[in-house]
Amino acid sequence: MSITRRVFLRNGAMAIVGTTAIPGFLTRAAFGAELAGDKKKRLVVIFQRGAADGLNIVVPHGEPAYYSMRPSINIPRSAVIDLDGFFGLHPSLSAFQPLWRQRHLAIVHAAGSPDSTRSHFDAQDFMESGTPGLKTTQDGWLNRALHALPQASNRSAFRAIALGPSLPRILSGSEPAVALNNINDFGVGGRNPNAAPIANTFEAMYSQSVDSVLHGTGKETFEAVKMLKSADPSKYIPAAGANYPRGRFGDSLKQLAQLIKANLGVQVAFADIGGWDHHVNEGGTQGQIANILREFSQSVAAFWTDLDDLAEDTVVVTMSEFGRTARENGNRGTDHGHANVMFVIGGPVKGGKVYGRWPGLDQSQLYEGRDLAVTTDFRRVLGESVYRHLDNRSLDQVFPGFDNQPEKFLNILGLS
Amino acid sequence: MQFSSRKNALILVMCLLGLFSANLALGKKKEQRNFVTQMDQPEMALHALNRLTFGVRPGDLERITTMGLDKWIDQQLHPERINDSALEARLSPFRTLRMDTRQIVENFPPPQLIKAVANGKQPLPSDPLKRAVYQDQIERMQEKQDRKQLTSDSDVTTSTGKASTFSDEERIDRRDKRVSADLAAQELLDMDPDQRLKAILKLSAEDRRALSNELKHEKRDEFMEGMTPEQRETVMALNNPQQVVANELIQGKILRATYSERQLQEVMTDVWFNHFNIFIGKGEDRYLLTSYERDVIRPRALGKFEDLLRTTAQSPAMLFYLDNALSVGPNSDFANGISNRAYKKAGKKRNRNAGRGNQAKGKRGGLNENYGRELMELHTLGVNGGYTQKDVTEVARVFTGWTLKKPKQGEGFTFENSMHEPGEKWVLGHRIKPNGEKEGLEVLHILARHPSTAKFVSSKLAIRFVSDNPPQALVDRMAETFRKKDGDIREVLKTMLHSPEFWSADEYRSKVKTPFEFVISALRATGADIGDAVPLARQLQSLGMPLYGMQPPTGYSMKADAWMSSAALLGRMNFALALTSGKLKGLKLDPGYLLGTNGTASDPQQTLAVLENNLLAADISRQTHDTIATQLQDAKLGGRLGDQTRLPSFSVIAGLLLGSPEFQKR
Repeated sequence: MSITRRVFLRNGAMAIVGTTAIPGFLTRAAFGAELAGDKKKRLVVIFQRGAADGLNIVVPHGEPAYYSMRPSINIPRSAVIDLDGFFGLHPSLSAFQPLWRQRHLAIVHAAGSPDSTRSHFDAQDFMESGTPGLKTTQDGWLNRALHALPQASNRSAFRAIALGPSLPRILSGSEPAVALNNINDFGVGGRNPNAAPIANTFEAMYSQSVDSVLHGTGKETFEAVKMLKSADPSKYIPAAGANYPRGRFGDSLKQLAQLIKANLGVQVAFADIGGWDHHVNEGGTQGQIANILREFSQSVAAFWTDLDDLAEDTVVVTMSEFGRTARENGNRGTDHGHANVMFVIGGPVKGGKVYGRWPGLDQSQLYEGRDLAVTTDFRRVLGESVYRHLDNRSLDQVFPGFDNQPEKFLNILGLS
Repeated sequence: MQFSSRKNALILVMCLLGLFSANLALGKKKEQRNFVTQMDQPEMALHALNRLTFGVRPGDLERITTMGLDKWIDQQLHPERINDSALEARLSPFRTLRMDTRQIVENFPPPQLIKAVANGKQPLPSDPLKRAVYQDQIERMQEKQDRKQLTSDSDVTTSTGKASTFSDEERIDRRDKRVSADLAAQELLDMDPDQRLKAILKLSAEDRRALSNELKHEKRDEFMEGMTPEQRETVMALNNPQQVVANELIQGKILRATYSERQLQEVMTDVWFNHFNIFIGKGEDRYLLTSYERDVIRPRALGKFEDLLRTTAQSPAMLFYLDNALSVGPNSDFANGISNRAYKKAGKKRNRNAGRGNQAKGKRGGLNENYGRELMELHTLGVNGGYTQKDVTEVARVFTGWTLKKPKQGEGFTFENSMHEPGEKWVLGHRIKPNGEKEGLEVLHILARHPSTAKFVSSKLAIRFVSDNPPQALVDRMAETFRKKDGDIREVLKTMLHSPEFWSADEYRSKVKTPFEFVISALRATGADIGDAVPLARQLQSLGMPLYGMQPPTGYSMKADAWMSSAALLGRMNFALALTSGKLKGLKLDPGYLLGTNGTASDPQQTLAVLENNLLAADISRQTHDTIATQLQDAKLGGRLGDQTRLPSFSVIAGLLLGSPEFQKR
């Protein structure tokens, strides 16, 4: 399904530029190379930290209550990018419009965690552990998602990576995972070729350390450094048209694209973007939320463009710890709420559709009389990605205690 | 590996059980804590230094042993008894550290003040240095406006074809400016620092703007190399006055952590700042944090918890950061349009575009829950401390009216009755009678004395000082002291320091250092002489721990899992190498200080032994020692990476030791 769509678009593009090259993924598909548990399939998870305001991101412009509850920060009907007559994108998400039209972008509205916490810290923790309400979980679901997957014969140090200075909760666990801040700094002594003996000494020290945390981290680190050196991802400059905006998030996704293109065996990856906690002067079509949405969507769209053919094997899922109050507060901002919106982007995505049951914004429909209610558990969406895209059938291990039968999936992904 | 060390500990405990069983049979105490294996004496001294200071300096161990461990701890618990004049001397050039907020705003003007002066609403200061700062900022503002004007002009003229010639001229003009600024910068760099500053002040405001545009990061570090802190402050103020305030705050933080003799007080200041965290990037907090840390946190670092709670609640920095200054009672006079005085005072204009909903009924403003929630979740009870969403809303109602008077002019907390929600409130089952400002004080008192607060705060202290997973029995005893002694922090620390859990052999070097602890301990271990701490702050940023830079109110994690990752590990190794090979700007490192020679020791193995002694108190694993010793026999190692002007092996050996597994822990 998805391939056909993309072929159509590609053919259109080819006709214009008159190229005869056949995209690589087509030949792969033609030879039936898509194996179960294919290690080329990858899942990218993006976390909007700080509780993004889903109601001003994918706007229910068909809801009169939306406008009456947000007199000063609503997105007027005339400004939204209409999707289906009821929902519309915030105008700063115009970079997502082509993806929507190509049906590579799906939206799940009123998604979230069943736990009622409105604490940033706890809610993020639950979304990363994958066990809402259970604080004793030691590892993150994205790490567990790799447990049951077949190991490639030459194990990649980059199988699980996080962009940033520290390894996030979502990737902690028994599967080796690497945190990487900057490709160019990832090594001992920078680019100084004479630093090799020093690096070797550090490696030997850490490999013999009796401290299990330092020993483990050291091992993963030096494996990754060596792989990165031989693959030299810095030679992968962004593809034409992939214009990453300035800022940490754009940088993260740019480097992630480099790592993927350098064929380092990335299976799961994580990046985050903060600055969504708009208690005061959130703004509407202009202002704080507009600015960060622009950075967010342009970065993701550039990443998609940059991946080119490899985007076919990639699924990107976005999430945020909870939504924000349906009503604006006294400072033209919003306080901590409940349900939110998730984006699912990728080759196998059946996009161009808003999934999930819309709970409504009437007083009686609001959660605790103030927030958008959750109608889709976030684990349903993530579970489908893990099951159908990564081909990990052991969802009871990835999301323990959650009934995640395939027949309950929203069928966002097009594989049978 | 961890498994085997645990097993060893278990065997040890079992042996001790056997040994002491006769003793125990005689004794009456059956508490489990008596079974904890304790450290030996030298370990105890080192452990105290590792946990109660920002790192061990060469000679500290001897000093503490001579003085006696108990006496040293007692002294640290009473910082006022410790002479700290050497630190004071280092801090004296940083004027903002002694200024109140009003003076800071006046000397390092924010854009609003610049605008007021440019529009003639306020006079230009007469002091020549201050005047130069204002003039430069006015110049900068006008430059920006011109540019805006230019773009809008060219938009209009595009159709007539004039736009391109116009912007070409502009481009040439700007290139010329850039070239001359480049030349000027080089010329200035060749002068000695005194002449350089004089020459800069003689430039026209316009030329200075062009020059400062050329000075970014590395080049600016180079430009300021050798200048006194006062000279640096002036140069920076000309460029970006607001940055001066933030930079001096950072200087203060790093210098205090590195050089203060009142180490425990600085550690505790860090603890409480992190507990009552505020992000410097949020608007006016850039100006408010200097006073917040100096006047609110540090003086109470070892005092009563309720004092900290009350003063943070009333501090302009917190009122601004967690938005309480803007929270309005939905049924207050202000919301009903009877008064708008208060809101104006809080720095907000009345919402003229009020549309539908609440505003349609003439209501303005409303509750903001941000502070109410974080007050209970992060400052007092903890997330499982037994409060509900209803309590959050009620606490928010209680604190309406706790706001700010003219924050931009540096005035402080005020209670504004017209913004206060009338009526009684219910908080955690207590009825709060209508009592204006005092309602908030009553709630703070309830929270400070709540058993959940005692537990939550004790647990955070135990995580910081004892273990990532502190024993419950210890936390319980600390919480008991907290309750009995009315939240006396010094007493809670004493309970912890007298506990067998604190001195358990399992806890010796069991905590992974945070990036800040790692960097500062490296500076202390090497005796680095810091002239400018800003480049160090940049290092901390890339290690994932920007100072005053934690955006969410949670503060930084004090547990290992947050700080151990491949990126972090490589960052630490590279920092260690950069520090010891003299590649970090803004500081000096004297190998002679660590080697105890004038730089003549030539035997690498001997150097290794001396450095192990000085950097790690000679407590290094066999494996790490052997690895370095073996590598030293490789001739390539010493000569290649090391700074050729120094002892061949000094920088490499010291770098390896600071990047070693042992040095990552405290």
